Amino acid sequence: MLVLTRKIGETIRVGDDVRVQVLAIRGGQVRLGLTAPADVRIFREEIFRTIEEQNQKARLADEERLADAAELWLEVGNAKHD
Amino acid sequence: MPSTIECTAARPSREVDASPTLHVRSRRFGSFEISSTSMVEIPQGLVGFPQLRRYVVLEHRPGSPFKWLLAIDDPELAFAVANPCELVANYAPPLELAARLLEADSADIALLVIVTIPADPTRMTVNLMAPVVVDLRTRRARQIVLDLPHCPPDYLVVRPRVAARA
Repeated sequence: MLVLTRKIGETIRVGDDVRVQVLAIRGGQVRLGLTAPADVRIFREEIFRTIEEQNQKARLADEERLADAAELWLEVGNAKHD
Repeated sequence: MPSTIECTAARPSREVDASPTLHVRSRRFGSFEISSTSMVEIPQGLVGFPQLRRYVVLEHRPGSPFKWLLAIDDPELAFAVANPCELVANYAPPLELAARLLEADSADIALLVIVTIPADPTRMTVNLMAPVVVDLRTRRARQIVLDLPHCPPDYLVVRPRVAARA
């Protein structure tokens, strides 16, 4: 991991187009400003952890689970547009 | 803004499946004959499963809204997936964004959501935050991240009022 020290107002460039600026530091929090082309998607890391956890939960235990859910859906599915 | 509210703009394929090319045996889920037309390649893997890239999408059973998403290289790993428009009322699929993220033509893509089915199926949820977008032409897919309002990772499919009547 590359480690850099920056002061408030200073910027880091990642590649040609991405800039990360330190805007403010208060208590244990750092406020960052990011400038990047529109096609560069920027997320908090936590969103990937949330999705990974959901994927883990979604692993099917057995075929019966799926059969039960399908049966339930046949019962209630038509009422979903309430 | 996309004007369509269909989850897939692509025409359903009426082609007859090629003869089975692969046989997958799963201890948990049984045996499957897989034709190349039902395979999808997810080059980046699903989030948390980067090493598994080859999957197959199979119909569950007549009348079921679900499909199997089964990992060909680990047949004990399977997910239930579905067309979100079938499970979520008034769902507006972000087809243009999905196509852009997959680098595919929006006329070729289909959106699938992963379903989490707990022991009590009335509590099943769909992951609207991270749908799987499939390019039906190239059979390439990707789990995309939608950081949008009204797209939670655990949207309750059977709404409480409906569940109360079940």
